[in-house]
Amino acid sequence: MIFSTLEHILTHISFSIVSIVITIYLISLSVDEIIGLYDSSEKGMIATFFCITGLLVTRWIYSGHLPLSNLYESLIFLSWSFSIIHMIPYVKKHQNYLSTITAPTTIFTQGFVTSGLLAEMHQSEILVPALQSHWLMMHVSMMILGYAALLCGSLLSVALLVITFRKALRIFSKNNNFLNESFFFEEIQYMTERNNSTSFFSFRNYYKAQLIQQLDHWSYRIISLGFIFLTIGILSGAVWANEAWGSYWNWDPKETWAFITWTIFAIYLHTRTTKNLESVNSAIVASMGFLIIWICYFGVNLLGIGLHSYGSFNLH
Amino acid sequence: MESLGSVNRLSPSLPKTLLVPCNAQIRSLWTSKRALHFTVCCKLKSSQGKRDSAKLISKKIVLSGEVPPPLAEEKSGPAGDAREEAGKSRTVGGAGFVKRFPRRVLALLSNLPLAIGEMATVAALMALGTVIDQGEAPDFYFQKYPEENPILGFFTWRWVLTLGFDHMFSSPIFLGTLALLAASLMACTYTTQIPIVKVARRWSFLSSPEAIRKQEYSDSLPRASVQDLGVVLMGAGYEVFLKGPSLYAFKGLAGRFAPIGVHLAMLLIMVGGTVSAAGSFRGSVTVPQGLNFVVGDVLGPSGFLSTPTESFNTEIHVNRFYMDYYDSGEVSQFHTDLSLFDLSGKEVMRKTISVNDPLRYGGITIYQTDWSFSTLQILKDGEGPFNLPMAPLQINGDKKLFGTFLPTGDDDSPKVKGISMLARDLQSIILYDQDGKFVGVRRPNSNLPIDIGGTKIVIVDAIGSSGLNLKTDPGVPVVYAGFGALMLTTCISYLSHAQIWALQDGTTVVIGGKTNRAKVEFPEEMNRLLDRVPEIVGSADSKNPGGVGG
Repeated sequence: MIFSTLEHILTHISFSIVSIVITIYLISLSVDEIIGLYDSSEKGMIATFFCITGLLVTRWIYSGHLPLSNLYESLIFLSWSFSIIHMIPYVKKHQNYLSTITAPTTIFTQGFVTSGLLAEMHQSEILVPALQSHWLMMHVSMMILGYAALLCGSLLSVALLVITFRKALRIFSKNNNFLNESFFFEEIQYMTERNNSTSFFSFRNYYKAQLIQQLDHWSYRIISLGFIFLTIGILSGAVWANEAWGSYWNWDPKETWAFITWTIFAIYLHTRTTKNLESVNSAIVASMGFLIIWICYFGVNLLGIGLHSYGSFNLH
Repeated sequence: MESLGSVNRLSPSLPKTLLVPCNAQIRSLWTSKRALHFTVCCKLKSSQGKRDSAKLISKKIVLSGEVPPPLAEEKSGPAGDAREEAGKSRTVGGAGFVKRFPRRVLALLSNLPLAIGEMATVAALMALGTVIDQGEAPDFYFQKYPEENPILGFFTWRWVLTLGFDHMFSSPIFLGTLALLAASLMACTYTTQIPIVKVARRWSFLSSPEAIRKQEYSDSLPRASVQDLGVVLMGAGYEVFLKGPSLYAFKGLAGRFAPIGVHLAMLLIMVGGTVSAAGSFRGSVTVPQGLNFVVGDVLGPSGFLSTPTESFNTEIHVNRFYMDYYDSGEVSQFHTDLSLFDLSGKEVMRKTISVNDPLRYGGITIYQTDWSFSTLQILKDGEGPFNLPMAPLQINGDKKLFGTFLPTGDDDSPKVKGISMLARDLQSIILYDQDGKFVGVRRPNSNLPIDIGGTKIVIVDAIGSSGLNLKTDPGVPVVYAGFGALMLTTCISYLSHAQIWALQDGTTVVIGGKTNRAKVEFPEEMNRLLDRVPEIVGSADSKNPGGVGG
């Protein structure tokens, strides 16, 4: 009983802290350069991180197994992963744009977790025979860390697309060669030089180009990292399946969609190797990947088909 | 160039006289290699159009050495390679159309947009394979995708059945795309990635400050020595090469090679998958506790390479099947105690298997996958025990239901009446009387009689049967090797290959560098490292014998 109360408290604390943090972010977005505010929001995120960690540990202790056995628990783990991704650059004193993506994502997942929709799943369930394996920890944690990193990276790509969108439209209409068009920093600089008459405009353009470059780079690095986790997750899942289900690959819907996700991000990484497919085109691929991760993570569970059915919704 | 020449002449560390003859040799090698490199470039450009960014950069390096620099020097290994390459290029040049044709195919296959297209096709087909129900009878598709009301205006059962989308993951289209992707992987590794390795492996000094300043990152340190920079870089984990006033350092070279490993690992997994598909046996069996079966009777071949082995003669006896339960009554684990006997009837192995803990013997793996209720042993009015076979009434998923019927009274009467017994698991039996009214629940082994309409029933035992899956799969070791390699190489691929060139130009050190992945972190790291390079106060000339001139 004490455990469930503690869990309840921790859930609500983490949710409220994240919402406060979000408000602070929005304020610091509109009102520039309030360092104190920014600092407090960082502290808030750290507090959230500890709350979610506490939540997971509490669940672990009273259920006796790693809290990764159903959708609710995996969602908590997902928001924990987001907060850890949020923390890493903070610890390394590395200023980047990741935090603006990770904080809202944490609140959305955390909000979804605590919302009434999944209320019946809050109860910790018993572990079905197939899940009783040491591979559970490795497979599920790697998959969810991978999802979290890939979601962050693809969200950065979406942000990049949004920022370049207006410019892109203009260039697309000029040049029908959709795929070969590139959006280089140099090109934008060239355009700025041409429009040099207004220095303010050129300054803004320069800032924008630099932002795009930063977004592009960080989404690439985060997606590469997520890709590693996803690879390890899928492969450890395959090894586990060979222990539990009789074959390392069963073309189970969840498995197949994980492989589709993997393929999409492999395509993303390949578009990065060619200079003239970089930036916008790879960002388009990454944003497709964003949708596909959600299909893989949620869509397949919604249908509740296949061997991975223990992750599904129980809405009856 | 002039000033550098003079530096060179003055430098005591570089005996010019010794270098002259080898320089001439190197020069010839350089030119021949340059010629080769151009042919390679042209070939790739004409056939491919688009090329790897790293490739472009590598070309830049070679081009910067177009005029053989006085200090550019190759190790003997790469020089030998260059000679070989030059020879190779001659033979390739002399080859006729027959040799050119596969090369054109190779170039076509290693085309990156094609590879991306193939990956996208595989992804799309897989997605389609999860949307369309797999492995149903044709009637199912006639109803689900009727011709009168096609999905999206064109998609009917004809599409599904003609293209084999009812068994997507073994359909020729899907397997063909995978094979094409494998071919592309091989072609890309051969034509694009291996040349990158060849370029990346030769480490070369840049001898002109201009060439160094042209790098993605460049900086210059006044009043510093290149030796100090070398020490700092070494401390940061760089491999440092120093020759007179020139410095070359690199880090994370493995990150440049790892993508090749990723491709090879993918190929290994594909090979393993093919071996699995062609050479494995599968089968499943439900065996009541206490009975035997022979492995060879259960296993059926899945491909044309499947050949039975000695161990197929093994006879397996199910000693015991039992379940563990949680306090709430739900099943926590299934166990089957198996004994294996060879042809002579000797027990060769005994193991209790459970879900997640299969038995492996002589290439055969036995999995615990399912269970069923075989028979119920009862005493009727103290007589017996009778064995009542249990029939599955509901078998979807984990919610199973079994039942049996014990006739009571007159056997000849047209209207048979009796006791019904239902069970969800082996733990408790629910009994109903002749009128279908609930009477009670009894556990096996409880020896507690229950009176139903004057008949005393004692549930003696509940005998389950174990659902076992058997397989042999010769592809597993190959696939696992591929898995291991893929995990390792994917991790290594995250490393960024950083290269740094530096040159002592008077008292100033000109530094240039580039990296292939961590393009934002690299300048930050460089700035941090350069801050650590000590500034030389006083006469720089006495400290750096190499740094005279300017």
